[in-house]
Amino acid sequence: MNDPATTTPAPTVAAGYRPLDGCYDEMVDAAGVPREHWSYLAESIAELGLDELLRRRVEAARLLDQDGVVYNTYRESARADERWLLDPLPAVLGSREWERIETGVIERAELLNLVLEDLYGPRDLLRRGLLPPELVFGHAGFLRSCDGIRLPGNQQLFSYAADVGRDKDGRYVVLSDRTQAPSGAGYALENRTVISRVLPSLYREAQVHRLAPFFRSLRVALQTVAPPGVDDPRIVVLTPGPLNETAFEHAVLASELGYPLVEGSDLIARRGGVWMRALGQLEPVHVILRRVDAWFCDPLELKPDSRLGVPGLVEAARSGNVSIVNTLGSSVLENPALLAFLPRLGKHLLGTEPRLGSVPTWWCGDDGSRRHVLANLEQLILRPTSRAPGSAATFGWECSAAELDALRRRIEHRPQEWVGQEPIAMASTPTLTSGGLEARRTVLRAFAVARTDSYVVMPGGLTRVAPDAGSDRISNQAGAISKDTWVLASEPERLTGFWLQSGPAVEGIDPMAAIPSRAAENLWWLGRYAERAEAITRLLRAVDDRRNEFQGSTNAAGVASLRALLVALTQVTATYPGFVGHGADKRLAGPGAELLSLVVDEARPGALAHAVRALLDCAYAVRDQLSNDTWLVVGSLDRVILRLHSSDEEPQAVVQGALQRVMQSLLALGGLGDESMVRDLGWRFMDAGRRIERAVQLLSLLRATVTQTRGTATDSLVLESVLTAAESIITYRRRYRSQAQLETLLDLLLLDEGNPRSVIYQLQRLIDDFDALPNGDHRLRDEQRLLLEASTALRLVDTTALVAQDAAGDCAELDAFLAHLLDLLLRAADAVDRVHFVQLLPQRQLVGPAQPAASANGTAARR
Amino acid sequence: MTTYTVTHRTEYVYESAVAPSYSQLHLLPRDLPGQRCRSAEVVVDPEPEDYRERSDFFGNRVAYVAIHEPHVRLTVTSTSVVDVDGRDQGVTLLAQRPWEEARDALADPHAAERLDAAQFVLDSPLVAATEAYADYALHCFTPGRELLAGVIALCSQIHADFAYVPGSTSVSTPLTEVFETREGVCQDFAHVGIACLRSIGLPARYVSGYIATDPPPGKPKLIGADFSHAWLSLLVPGAGWLDVDPTNDQLVSHRHVVTAFGRDYSDVPPLTGVIFTEGKTKSLKVTVDVAATPISA
Repeated sequence: MNDPATTTPAPTVAAGYRPLDGCYDEMVDAAGVPREHWSYLAESIAELGLDELLRRRVEAARLLDQDGVVYNTYRESARADERWLLDPLPAVLGSREWERIETGVIERAELLNLVLEDLYGPRDLLRRGLLPPELVFGHAGFLRSCDGIRLPGNQQLFSYAADVGRDKDGRYVVLSDRTQAPSGAGYALENRTVISRVLPSLYREAQVHRLAPFFRSLRVALQTVAPPGVDDPRIVVLTPGPLNETAFEHAVLASELGYPLVEGSDLIARRGGVWMRALGQLEPVHVILRRVDAWFCDPLELKPDSRLGVPGLVEAARSGNVSIVNTLGSSVLENPALLAFLPRLGKHLLGTEPRLGSVPTWWCGDDGSRRHVLANLEQLILRPTSRAPGSAATFGWECSAAELDALRRRIEHRPQEWVGQEPIAMASTPTLTSGGLEARRTVLRAFAVARTDSYVVMPGGLTRVAPDAGSDRISNQAGAISKDTWVLASEPERLTGFWLQSGPAVEGIDPMAAIPSRAAENLWWLGRYAERAEAITRLLRAVDDRRNEFQGSTNAAGVASLRALLVALTQVTATYPGFVGHGADKRLAGPGAELLSLVVDEARPGALAHAVRALLDCAYAVRDQLSNDTWLVVGSLDRVILRLHSSDEEPQAVVQGALQRVMQSLLALGGLGDESMVRDLGWRFMDAGRRIERAVQLLSLLRATVTQTRGTATDSLVLESVLTAAESIITYRRRYRSQAQLETLLDLLLLDEGNPRSVIYQLQRLIDDFDALPNGDHRLRDEQRLLLEASTALRLVDTTALVAQDAAGDCAELDAFLAHLLDLLLRAADAVDRVHFVQLLPQRQLVGPAQPAASANGTAARR
Repeated sequence: MTTYTVTHRTEYVYESAVAPSYSQLHLLPRDLPGQRCRSAEVVVDPEPEDYRERSDFFGNRVAYVAIHEPHVRLTVTSTSVVDVDGRDQGVTLLAQRPWEEARDALADPHAAERLDAAQFVLDSPLVAATEAYADYALHCFTPGRELLAGVIALCSQIHADFAYVPGSTSVSTPLTEVFETREGVCQDFAHVGIACLRSIGLPARYVSGYIATDPPPGKPKLIGADFSHAWLSLLVPGAGWLDVDPTNDQLVSHRHVVTAFGRDYSDVPPLTGVIFTEGKTKSLKVTVDVAATPISA
């Protein structure tokens, strides 16, 4: 297909497409004719036409939504509104071009590896004057406490990424090297997944190199880097948590690689090694794939107030009992000043200058270079050598005279902390807009990972383009759009390294294998909040139904039943004063505002939106534990909640619409839990959370409604609503046909083992869930004992005796019994917290000023 | 030569149970030209689960301590026996050259001390050079003045201008504030001296250690009356490091015992740590005793 003889220009596309002036265009040459490796794609997109391409773009966005792909820009809560932007048109690289990038990236990785090894070892490069010591000693990434830490094997630089641009002559130029914890490979994989579904035939026929082998190489590399003598290394992915901007990717990596995703508080340093806190026991950890910046990794030896790290981690790495990759301190290589010295270092270390060159860079620590930079400030990009908040690049040509003066003074004051870089007329590439194809500046992030004495490069990478035609800034913070990157195979690719392997069966991972306690805790709360949200929704709907019937009606029983339900709503959700306390009469007369608040108020515990937000936070925190389809549901729930505030509809319509949409999502979530999750440890906790919450909600509702009598007409309406809210009305009507009776209602809601809404059913599931957990000594744990007690009490109860009324019409015995069950269940829930989850004390600094103690795991208290 | 036995005891009492507790100690004296550590030992109570000694980036001795048993009291006691010679006359001799010449010799890319010169002239976490420090230093480092005379004058100037006020500063007090209020403790004066030297291009480092004090005439020496101490050290081209003590306005003598050195205090705090606890630290007590042993080996 790359035969030039059969290539014909695609006039419809080429005609509409205008490359940017003064730069190289990826798709067309100077004459506007598609380049050889682009011709097939150019033709195909011309055939598809603009409308169809736009339709595919919508489809791509929908798929990304479905997978919950987000790029957070740090905020207090993870949200689905930070969309990952993906252009349906891939960036295309021919095999010759790719070879230049691939060999260049490997060569650079090898060179940087030798530099890294030297800087945290003999420092010969400094002693011999090949690298000025100020450049290293003055860089924030040079971590003295990590000096001398060595990974097993020859490669100290485990993974590497290069941002590669193309200058006006089409030469590839590295704009920056990424060595701290290179991000983007997971997004590249996601882009591929989406584009291969959006442009399936195009993708199939274009013979594109696959990405999966790269992730297998990554897995092999992680196993290879384990401390010597460890045959079956335990590997984890360390993340700063769900609020991190690339949290999505951390979860993708963890699930793609099949390793637990952990936060600092999931790990503990002991006896010279590192361990994962896994449900009441410690599991050894041998390799940590680090996505936390090194400086934050250990409050003992690095950043003292970091809450993202593990105290003692540096010492463990030093002892060689755990391999942390990239190695702590690797970001010393991200110093842009190093770019000015790479040719010299290449000659010294590899005998050749790197063929993949860098953007022309002058380090101001050198007198001659500083003079050049200061004399040409308005033509250069000025960059601090260390990356820090607020240390963005300054574009000399955008500065006023006063700004340039200030900049000059800053550079003269600490010259070794600055570089000047020449702007590159970056290449453009076609990007889909609603008006057709538009040329946008483009940059490729290429990824490499260590492989026996060299590196392997992902065939492809993460291409990003500027957010608009005029812009030459390409970063995710600036709203860049990403592209799938297609490296065309010169011959059909041999499929090797299948996932499906012949040969002896590999020992699988035990479904009851350890997961971090924090993950189990989040799943337990995910279950609880999901069920709580569902219970509130059902109750609100039942209330809303009665309101439609009886609000302002003259039917006394109807009005009384509505009133009883409103009071029950406040009691069950514990949203006092509500319809009970001070000002209740006014609110009972006009309940609209209070009901709206109970739906939309995220900050109000007990409100539906609060439970849903808490559920979402739990889901984002255990992203790696949940199936892909879950994100379809989570994303739509998130959007329902986000839209609640911007709605200008009439309040009751908002409430009804929200209740319906939330209910749909919650039902879908429940279905996924039942049908798409393996019954592993995590599922057990999620299910248990759901069950205990369902029982608690139902018992609370019964206490708030049926323990007192209000007259037959009112009571029958109340009982009917209770049965509706408990999702048992249909069964009840079918079974008992006649008028509602408390005794039969209790039979169905408390005692019927066949009713998946009954309390006894929840108790049985809870007992099963906790029995399924690994148990060392076969003695009952606290939560098991309490659940057994509750279950026994319930089985022995006589409902006929319970419904007896006293003179005031109250069923005191029933109330006492329900209260007793509720107490046992709440104590069981506390026992679960205590027995299974880690209760971390707040972290403090031992010496120094009094620090306000933050919660150790950063999560707010839950009720 | 004098032999000192140094005992340094730190006791923390906490409001509520602590577990785990991780700490890092710079309490074991290192060997240096003019100083030899005969023995040094740290005792931690409660018994740590992990205890390891190593050398840090600067060659100082560091101990890593991890305690997992819940505790409300932590004591760390180090006992070391150190031989201290008098000052190396060679260094003072070679410091008798114009300070600008010394500065330029160290900036030469081919200088033997190039790495140290670069490392200790750059800003460090607690000490950042500014014009103000340079101006202050230039009162002492007048053009052509000898390096030795300049640094002695700087010590005297700091000693004269700054009031020694225990408790006036904490570890987190910025140096600029010390420089403004003109009060602090030995650690602050060492930092001021370092900032002044670096601001005029002279590499300087922070030294953490002890000083033996004399009892008032006719009184017996009180155990624990001594303090942990800090001063600074200046790089002299071709000679090595020259230690000066601005707190006591003197060149460092055979009465000073060095524990560790670094770019500033943050590289070598005697004890730092991370603890997990609900409560606060109720009390912190430090006692230091530096006893000269009458015998000389």
